[in-house]
Amino acid sequence: MTAKVIVLSGYGLNCEEETLHAFKYSGLNGDIVHINDLIDSPEMLDNYDILAIPGGFSYGDDTGSGNAFAQKMKLALMDDLKKFVERDTLVIGICNGCQILVNLGLVPALNAYGERDVAVTYNASARYQCRWIDIKIEHATSPWLKDIETLHIPVAHGEGRFMMDDSTLEDLKFNGQVAARYVNEGGHYADMAFPANPNGSTFDIAAMTDKSGRVLAIMPHPERGMFTWQRDDYAELKDQAQRDGVELSDDSDGIVIFKNAAAYFEMKMKKSA
Amino acid sequence: MDFENYMPTRIEILAHKDDGRAKSIESILESMDVNASVQAVDVYTSENPDAANDAFAKGLANPVTQRVNETPEDFTWALEIGYLPGVTDNIGHTATELLALTSNDNLNGGEPVYSSRLYLIKANTEKETIEKLSRVISNKLIQRITIKSLDEYKKDGGMDVVIPKVKLDNKGAVADKVDLNISDDELTEIGTRGIANQDGSRRGPLGLSLHYMKAIQEYFKKEGRPATDIEIETLAQTWSEHCKHTIFASPIDDVADGLYKHYIKRATKEIREERGEDDICVSVFSDNAGGIIFDEDHLITDKVETHNSPSALDPFGGAITGIVGVNRDCIGFGQGAKPVVNRYGFCLADPRKKPNYFRDKDCTDALLPPSNIMNGVVAGVEAGGNCSGIPTPSGFVYFDDRFAGKPLVFVGTIGLIPRMINGNPGHEKKARPGDKIVMAGGRVGADGIHGATFSSVALDEGSPATAVQIGDPITQKKMSDAIIKEIRDKGWYSAITDNGAGGLSSSVGEMAEQSGGFLLELDKVPLKYPGLSPWEIWISESQERMTMAVPPENTEKLIEFFAKRGVEATVVGTYTDSGRAQISWQDDVIMDLEMDFLHDGNPETPLKTTFTRGGQAEPDFAEPLSYEQILVDMMGRLNICSKEFISTQYDHNVQGSAVLGPLQGKGRVYAEASVSRPVLSSEKGVVLSQGLFPRYSDIDTAAMAAAGLDMAVRNAVAAGVDFAQLALLDNFCWCSSDEPERLGQLKRAVETIYEMAVKYQTPFISGKDSMFNDFKGYDENGKAIKVSAPPTLLVSSIGVIPHVNRSISIAPKAAGDCVYVLGATKDELGASEYYDQLGYVGNNVPETDLHQNLRLYKLYARASRDRLIASAMAVGYGGLGVTLAKKAIAGQFGLDIDLSHIDLRKDKALFSESTGRIVVTVSPQNKKAFEKNFKGFEDCHYIGSVAQSENLFIRDCLKTDIRDLEEAYKAPLKNF
Repeated sequence: MTAKVIVLSGYGLNCEEETLHAFKYSGLNGDIVHINDLIDSPEMLDNYDILAIPGGFSYGDDTGSGNAFAQKMKLALMDDLKKFVERDTLVIGICNGCQILVNLGLVPALNAYGERDVAVTYNASARYQCRWIDIKIEHATSPWLKDIETLHIPVAHGEGRFMMDDSTLEDLKFNGQVAARYVNEGGHYADMAFPANPNGSTFDIAAMTDKSGRVLAIMPHPERGMFTWQRDDYAELKDQAQRDGVELSDDSDGIVIFKNAAAYFEMKMKKSA
Repeated sequence: MDFENYMPTRIEILAHKDDGRAKSIESILESMDVNASVQAVDVYTSENPDAANDAFAKGLANPVTQRVNETPEDFTWALEIGYLPGVTDNIGHTATELLALTSNDNLNGGEPVYSSRLYLIKANTEKETIEKLSRVISNKLIQRITIKSLDEYKKDGGMDVVIPKVKLDNKGAVADKVDLNISDDELTEIGTRGIANQDGSRRGPLGLSLHYMKAIQEYFKKEGRPATDIEIETLAQTWSEHCKHTIFASPIDDVADGLYKHYIKRATKEIREERGEDDICVSVFSDNAGGIIFDEDHLITDKVETHNSPSALDPFGGAITGIVGVNRDCIGFGQGAKPVVNRYGFCLADPRKKPNYFRDKDCTDALLPPSNIMNGVVAGVEAGGNCSGIPTPSGFVYFDDRFAGKPLVFVGTIGLIPRMINGNPGHEKKARPGDKIVMAGGRVGADGIHGATFSSVALDEGSPATAVQIGDPITQKKMSDAIIKEIRDKGWYSAITDNGAGGLSSSVGEMAEQSGGFLLELDKVPLKYPGLSPWEIWISESQERMTMAVPPENTEKLIEFFAKRGVEATVVGTYTDSGRAQISWQDDVIMDLEMDFLHDGNPETPLKTTFTRGGQAEPDFAEPLSYEQILVDMMGRLNICSKEFISTQYDHNVQGSAVLGPLQGKGRVYAEASVSRPVLSSEKGVVLSQGLFPRYSDIDTAAMAAAGLDMAVRNAVAAGVDFAQLALLDNFCWCSSDEPERLGQLKRAVETIYEMAVKYQTPFISGKDSMFNDFKGYDENGKAIKVSAPPTLLVSSIGVIPHVNRSISIAPKAAGDCVYVLGATKDELGASEYYDQLGYVGNNVPETDLHQNLRLYKLYARASRDRLIASAMAVGYGGLGVTLAKKAIAGQFGLDIDLSHIDLRKDKALFSESTGRIVVTVSPQNKKAFEKNFKGFEDCHYIGSVAQSENLFIRDCLKTDIRDLEEAYKAPLKNF
């Protein structure tokens, strides 16, 4: 029995296919399920171990990115979602999915699931940014991020700026809920400097988790940096490999997140066996 | 409930102090020398009583960063921007859906929510500055502006509550009868100014010549009855240049079957015949896009559209409507292709200049300045492409000040479709008699009827819906996903097409050609608001709609399924084999035309041409003494400099398919070709590129066309495409196409690309034309002027690369690598970037040597297959000098170059734009094999090596620091 992932779609979410591909490539089974079908039969969540809300432009980012889709989920599914995260499941929200998780209050959920503690809002540049960045993993106890130090993956968003008040930030730091921060080419924290920090995010935050670490909200796109051929420096890597007479690995940084999810459930099943 | 007397609710959501949108307003004001602090407020207004509920307002705001109805009175000026009635309000649309969710009430028929944005500006400045600001950030054709001082704001108790509701006064909308038993003068009047309303006013231009009007008169004489307004409007649409491409279809000089059939279509036919079993074409010229083989299981499709006139009026709306429109061409290919890549291309005037052109003699109605047009079209494609989840890796921007009157906005979409769907070829479809006509997606409003009309009726006068359209990508995305990802493979429809120009009249009319007729029940078409006349519903260009032919037994489940995906679909009629195009409205038949007359009744209009070669004598000027500064200046020219600000705004890696993107190498150089991998599980890639040289038309359109086609091919070849799997698309954007001289230029260009395509064996698979890119208006002195776009052919290329590891980027990879230039450099600087920099046109426009180029491309394809090439870049604008500089910037390596093999004056050697050239770098280990590959090809020149230095060094010519070149290359458009 492999773990099963449900990847949501609909209303402008648009990365469901490559996200499911990442999970399947990592050895998991899964389905793409339209949000309206999930709302019609919320009990189907019982059949899944991982919930993935992929990137996209749900409701065109109108009324704030992720807001309208989160409102729709909150009104129809909040109890089911709480039930789901309280099981030993994994949840990931990537880009628009990250914005949705934050608006749903599933991340960081400092006091309880369902309350909004932080905002992900307009980039400081007020411009959409599609570019490759580097992030450093801060919170290695999240199953999603196990044994990862840094990731070279792209961002693609108009509203990726985490904002919160100072005490919330202190709580997040104290709880180890800051999952990843933007770093520059030298590996140092971006310290708010563009373009290493592409959106002006507070404390260079690129990703955060709930308290358990099982729910991950991440603005950059691991599924767009899962294969070497997707990388911005693919041409250089490929050329170097050819000169060195070595085979270039297909896998790149981003795939590890999905493989970690597979490993988490494999381990769990081994334990229970 | 009686909505009429209900007090509207206005909700103001204040953003946090550091909001990026507010900051960008501050920086615009700063550029006007005004120090300001700005706050942004999102405003929602509705007459719906449920909007007053707290739950609704709370759902609109994020409590961490936003405040509800706590707008501070701490500003000098308040500037609010909202939409005019009938303009697509996407934010309002989403808010309306949220209202439906929070009100537990089915909102069908309820009042919607309208959005607007309020800026609170604290600055020591006059109202004039705020008015100026409002012109920069809004467009009066589609938006309303309110400015209040703090005093006025307090006195009025805040901003005004505005409900931009469409109110149409069409008492008992019916189809009017039009008597055509009238004089030629009266016929001409109808053709040029439109059908008369009862009050004597006219409904707007039909573009029907007297020649055409007389054919219509004749037809109704034969039918023995007067025409109806909807019949004449339908004929005007169907016979329009836009739909019939009459200039390409008409006999021209001695070419009896017209330019399109005789040259473009014939080229493809001849290539396919000659290729035989190796033919890559599957569907050409017959569908919404062209399709070629991708792999054993899939076809790829491509279509490039223009949206020039709408973009001149409303750049954002024009461009977003363009991109989501061409997405629908993809969705409407065969049984439905999935959009996998978008293309863009803009021909614009210098955004740093402010020409004063006016539509009226009194100089009150100014054209938008080039910077507004650029920002608008860039943002339009961004919003459309990004929201639709389609990557946009490929594109170009070309600048010439003659695009100030009409910009050219090219948008394209590549699709992917299984070769077999439910046991039938994926590209085939046919509406059958008895199939129901189903319209899915958005509703119909007065959008785009007769193109844009500049109505600026005050808001309180029951103003008409504006005719400018704005795309709604999310409505389309819901529809597209439902069709492509779910419904298509259920086999519930027999045919599908999109609603573009002409709306239902085109989509239903075209599909009915397959079945042999139709009966449309026009009163069943769902409307955005009441009061439209039948003819308006029929030709409305409201966006986000597909039309399907659905067997009656499938309609119910199809409509139900769409509903589950939040998409409205409606049966609006039946395809028949009656041979007639029929429309009913309530209980009357209001249109009943012969299908044959509708589609083929337009009389032929033979065309005559003349041609005179342009240009001047070759300039005679002294050779420059040094070249460092000249090269730096060349790098900063608009057609050469970086367009990175566009690439980073366009999502180019969604769908996870990007291989070679828009910015290449460490130095992030804006590339002209891209490689994508649309099927994640297949290692095959799609290579895309394009070429265009509008300025060459100043000398000879044959050279212009040849250089464009060659560049489109060469860019793709350089990036590693399989030369045998390369196809082309043609987009002609001409001007004054009623003048024999312009038609002569056109004929020359078409003859040229016929010859080239056949020689290269690169078939045309799709094309489009836009023949009147002229602006007729007035300068700042009220003097009549005409600004015509230079005759422009854009050739786009699409090809397959068998494995993405064969792709070749433009950036050099290692010091010590050898540098070669492939192809001959000749004294060909006519209409070049270099001559233009010096203020010359010249005469020696590049001539393309087809035979030599073909040899090179075939040899190159073999070298790229064997992975012998480390980097490659086709030589284009600015010649070898610019290409070498771009390569140095991209790789962040120095180059040691010797161009002594070129027997020309140094500036000519550096900046000649001879076609057919590629600069490559090759690793030492591949040097021998590379040279062997090109053995016998006389134009393979070793010119030096990649160096671990900071300089581009060209022996006996220049030595320039790469950082200076990079600065010059990246500076010009950095702040846009």
